[in-house]
Amino acid sequence: MPAVLTVDPRSGVPIYLQIIEQIKRSVALGILQSGEQLPTVKQLAIDLTVNPNTVARAYRELERQQVIETSPGRGSFIRSNGVTESPKVAAEIGRDALDVALREAKSVGLARDEVRELFDAALQRWFPTFEK
Amino acid sequence: MSTITISNLRKSYGRIPAVDGFSLEIPGASVFGLLGPNGAGKTTTFKCMLGLARPASGEILYDGKPLAPAMFERIAYIPERSVLYDWMTVEEHVEMTRRAFRSFDPARAFELLATFNIDRRRRVRALSKGMRTAVMVALAFARNAEILVLDEPTGGLDPVNQRHVLSLMINEAAKGNSVIFSSHQIGQVERAAEHIAVMDRGQLILQGLVDDLKADRKIVEGIFPDITFTLDGIANDARVARADRTERVVRLLVTGGADEIAERLANAGAMGVRVLDLNLEDIFLYAVSPATSTADVVAKETSS
Amino acid sequence: MNYVEWLRVRNLLKIVVIILAILVVLAVVLRISFARYMSPEAWVAHAAMQHGTHETHLTLSDGTKRLILDNPSERTRIVVDDHGYAGRHIVITEPTSSSHSDTDHVNVGSIQVVESRHGTITTTVIDTNGAVPMLYYMLLADIVALIVATILAAPFAREADGHLEIALTKPISRIRFALGTIGADVVGIIAASIITVVAFYLCQLLFESARVDFSGINTRAIAMGIAAPLAWYAMLCAATTWLHRSYGAVLGFAWPVVILIAVLSIINPTNVVALFIHDVAWVLARIIPFSYVQFASPDSHNALIYQGGDFARRLSLEILLFVVYGALAIWKWQRLEA
Repeated sequence: MPAVLTVDPRSGVPIYLQIIEQIKRSVALGILQSGEQLPTVKQLAIDLTVNPNTVARAYRELERQQVIETSPGRGSFIRSNGVTESPKVAAEIGRDALDVALREAKSVGLARDEVRELFDAALQRWFPTFEK
Repeated sequence: MSTITISNLRKSYGRIPAVDGFSLEIPGASVFGLLGPNGAGKTTTFKCMLGLARPASGEILYDGKPLAPAMFERIAYIPERSVLYDWMTVEEHVEMTRRAFRSFDPARAFELLATFNIDRRRRVRALSKGMRTAVMVALAFARNAEILVLDEPTGGLDPVNQRHVLSLMINEAAKGNSVIFSSHQIGQVERAAEHIAVMDRGQLILQGLVDDLKADRKIVEGIFPDITFTLDGIANDARVARADRTERVVRLLVTGGADEIAERLANAGAMGVRVLDLNLEDIFLYAVSPATSTADVVAKETSS
Repeated sequence: MNYVEWLRVRNLLKIVVIILAILVVLAVVLRISFARYMSPEAWVAHAAMQHGTHETHLTLSDGTKRLILDNPSERTRIVVDDHGYAGRHIVITEPTSSSHSDTDHVNVGSIQVVESRHGTITTTVIDTNGAVPMLYYMLLADIVALIVATILAAPFAREADGHLEIALTKPISRIRFALGTIGADVVGIIAASIITVVAFYLCQLLFESARVDFSGINTRAIAMGIAAPLAWYAMLCAATTWLHRSYGAVLGFAWPVVILIAVLSIINPTNVVALFIHDVAWVLARIIPFSYVQFASPDSHNALIYQGGDFARRLSLEILLFVVYGALAIWKWQRLEA
């Protein structure tokens, strides 16, 4: 599982947020199955060469967001309350990405209708439907 | 778990103050990065912490207690430059360390020396700068110390070995020990440190969790349609640390509340308002470079 | 704790041993040549070959081989009692010649010669293998000890020269570190003295059964011979610690300066300027350990005696200088900053 995790410490995005984002993404994509054990904080810190407290912070946050659960002495696991988790996480990722795109569109002065047009075109490109 | 408290530290060499009223709390069981341009006072701070230099005033406490010689059993130090004995072999340095410190593990030291590809029978005189650093690293990390004070612990090392030293630091922190290090390579600090402090001209100018600093500090950029615009008091917002204005472009360095400031900027008539992330290097450079350093800067609006 | 200083001492003693070993080897070479060309046997044989000499060989009851060479025509009689490895007792009776003085008493190493004139007959008694005063050994040992002391006398300056970070971050107090360091050097200086004595004893042993006289002045020589180099070491140690940035120059100029001061304090002043210089030098000489060294001097019979009745005072002053200079060095060492 750590193979799918990389952090870019030089990025302006805090490392703990990068870890959170990547674990969520892995859950959404089904790379991390529910009930799967995550590496220990120490192990992941050494694997990524980042501060263990940073990893611990990411784990705490993931636990708060109910993506993982930690039982003392056993370790951290992807929450096992069903397959419902992964679509929910996927929706969150998609919503955040759209949010960024729309904010950018607004900041360059596009009007609502123009944005809708662009959105429809993009939608057609990535999610094609047959013309009626 | 050792919290180190530095309060109001002052130290001058001649008339030049090296450390000028410096206070800092370094939490234990973590990696603490001390940053600053050359001559900022990092090495002097370390020397005062270890009793190698006598401060003119101020106090340094380890868990509330002043430094005593017996505490060196728990403290390992890598100085900025090589302090090894040229005429002695690497092996003799290991023996020297073994005789001085009860908890030193010579086998571990030899293991680390092997990973750095250093022949234990060689004299230090025959070693390159990077190899000398590696010897000091090997000795320090085999000490089983609770506090590691590392002044430029990767000086002269190649990228592979630099990464190796970072891993050793991470490993110590994971064991619950405290690592305090300085480095010119901000990328290393960014990766390994949880807390940082930035020094400049003997003073503390910034400190905090690396991730919090990154989350808080943003650049908010906006472009106005023409050159005659007012920021409508935005630059006087307490969260705006600095405002640079070039023709129609305004760039605001904000600490916290970037989205809100961005919205205010848009309401003031700015186009293309963007919120940009800052990495540690940017944060560092903004912290140490005076506001007047950019030629085409309009500082904070004086009034509005 | 003072492993580095022990290493320094060990390395220096290695060099001392190598040099002394070369000396011993040279002595072996000399011994071999001596046996072939310059043996007493050759000399005795020469005397025996003179015309008219009667040669008598006896073995005394204690096993001593006695050789009597009698030459009535020359009125010369030589009695050689050969005690083997324990040396020879030679009595020469011959007519007095102008080269003989009233009485003469010569000590050269283990050889003692006593010459006495009785009218027209002079008797010369030669004892080879007499006891050698320890004083001689100590003089040789002190030359080596002083060189070793001079080389070792900058332990704190050497640490200050880029190694304070190692020396001062050990879990012991600075005073304990300093005492350990000085202790290591003191052991090294005394060891150098002992090694030298042993080496020269070995050299002597190649030629005869060496007996060393520890009595009287010799005991004092040992005490002074150890105290003086240590006081010298402590003085340089203090100087190098205080002037730690230029300790090499301090060690290099120590001998010329001290010799100059000694000379100036001894010479008789002839004018006011010279008197002033003399007085300054004399005062300066008081703080130099060598001013209090007095081993012995020959008396009118060429016997070694210690003339001053103030040996205890002089030795106490040496020890006092060692302690004071040592304390000065440690005091400064405690205040050094990296």
